Amino acid sequence: MMTYNDPAASSMGADGPILRCEGITKAFGGVNAVNGATFDIPRNMITALIGPNGAGKTTVVNILSGAMKCDSGRVQMGSTDVTNWERYKIARLGLMRTFQLSRELGGLTVLENLLVAPKVQAGESLFNIFFRPRLLKREERQNIERATEILRTYGLYDLRDNRARELSGGQKKLLEISRGVMASPSLFLLDEPMAGVNPALIERIGGYILDMKAQGVTVLMIEHNLNVVERICDNVIVLAEGKTLATGKLSELRENKEVVTAYLGEVINASTSH
Amino acid sequence: MSQFWYYVFTLVFFLFDYFILAMGLNIQYGETGVLNFAYIGFVALGAYVTGAVSLPNSVGTGQQYIFGWNMPFPVNLIMGGVAAMILAVIVAFIALRRLRTDYLAMVLISLSLVLYDIINNYPRLFNGADGLYNVPQPMTGIFHMGTNTFVIFFSLVTGVVALILWAVMSRITRSPLGRTFRAIRDDADVAAALGKGVFRYQLMSMLIGSFFAGVGGGLIIEFGGSFNPSAWLPGETFVVFAVIIVGGVGNNVGLLVGALLVETLLIHLPAFLPDIPGHPGLIEYIDAIVIGIVLMIMLWFRPQGMVPERIRRFPQPAGELLNRDGHSVVAPTLTEAVASVSANAPFSDAHEGTDA
Repeated sequence: MMTYNDPAASSMGADGPILRCEGITKAFGGVNAVNGATFDIPRNMITALIGPNGAGKTTVVNILSGAMKCDSGRVQMGSTDVTNWERYKIARLGLMRTFQLSRELGGLTVLENLLVAPKVQAGESLFNIFFRPRLLKREERQNIERATEILRTYGLYDLRDNRARELSGGQKKLLEISRGVMASPSLFLLDEPMAGVNPALIERIGGYILDMKAQGVTVLMIEHNLNVVERICDNVIVLAEGKTLATGKLSELRENKEVVTAYLGEVINASTSH
Repeated sequence: MSQFWYYVFTLVFFLFDYFILAMGLNIQYGETGVLNFAYIGFVALGAYVTGAVSLPNSVGTGQQYIFGWNMPFPVNLIMGGVAAMILAVIVAFIALRRLRTDYLAMVLISLSLVLYDIINNYPRLFNGADGLYNVPQPMTGIFHMGTNTFVIFFSLVTGVVALILWAVMSRITRSPLGRTFRAIRDDADVAAALGKGVFRYQLMSMLIGSFFAGVGGGLIIEFGGSFNPSAWLPGETFVVFAVIIVGGVGNNVGLLVGALLVETLLIHLPAFLPDIPGHPGLIEYIDAIVIGIVLMIMLWFRPQGMVPERIRRFPQPAGELLNRDGHSVVAPTLTEAVASVSANAPFSDAHEGTDA
């Protein structure tokens, strides 16, 4: 079962941030969706990206993952400058992401959704398909074993042969996260993983995210549920009007007037009185 | 050799040939999601090149064409396939790199029309509107065959070619490569986010499908001995689409069923029926209407086709599964998992380091 870690016990690590984002900007027509966001994502921590609607959170995730190109600024992953790289190249460096609205590979089964995830597979080469069948078999067997283990952990095992499009909303969320885990990411960007799911599932997803961290995965999650942020995130980045307003622990940010005005305001009161 | 068997084996030829063509379009559209509305252009190029390399030098033949290399079977067929692949590379770099779905489809239709106009109006390539004719029938010299025997012989040869290509295609679609193709078809953004170079795989799928198109086209010109622009009006692409939609997108068996129903029974069989007295050619028009209606009925009532894409099941690993720590992995159903979480420690306790 999942092990829950004490977030405070983790440290930043000697290698510096896993991802550094410097002054990125992105405009859509006349609207500056992202306007100079600058932040670091510390290694082996769970970082929350919070901010009001329209603050540019999803655009930032899109830029970091290569789904959108930024107009200016720099994105560095480890020591590699990945600014405006193609998506698949960034993914191959170990950055996985989920989407705000779950995007399953609908025609594939649940198991196949996971089997497609390993970034580079010998079975994707025509030469290997026809001339190295044993290598393919071995690789496929290993992948099936790993995918089965993940599906069991995520409670999706019984649905393995169902087409992904037949799953419920919550199951699709789990599938998307487990697919990302199958790809063995070093940095996992989760875009509102808890949005629209029932409280029991929020508990489980929270557990899975902590488990990922225990396995050495760095997580950046966009999240509006401050209860969750407070419990599992080590670090919080507040984005407002496309700029980084503040970073730090949520408890520190509560004291920050700018943050309270821009985002926390009523929400934080509700959260603390809860 | 009766006329009857001549007709039957002509139908058999078209069954196998359209099976090959359907497999080629299926890997592009059914497996990878590339809406190739220019498909018939690839078939035609394959036919023309196969014909032009099989024919002797054009001087004194009364035709104009390039090549004229007297290539034997099956080298000429492979060259037809390769020519279609070269066209695929050009098309991919012009259209596939930047465009998706509907825009790509529009560009490909335009491309098909451009290709048609060039070949039709520039006779130095493949004899223009007259097309290529007198293409030598393969292996007739070796086996001393008459025309009727050739029809039987070549329809069986086409069957063998189709069988080989089916084996090749099945191997590809069942492999992790086929799975990646289908991932791209379902959601190219997700596939890219999983580290798949979408363009590379789409190009690969285009190349494989185009080879099938080229070979299928080559077999047509070898079977009939001639090929001209009336055989590949841009609308012909939709006949191949009808084959895979009726048969079943993403299923190789379905493609054979589609080839049988659409190409053999609906298109070629009525061509052998006697004319309706006083209305010559009417059957052809009725035929086109019937195909349209069949397509609409299928899309309305059975969009997955006669033989739908099958669910791919994998053998499960034997023995007890162990997790990274060497402990047995619990296999809860979703309901059990949800129930156990809600019955166990609340989230706040978990935060303090207990097991969930």
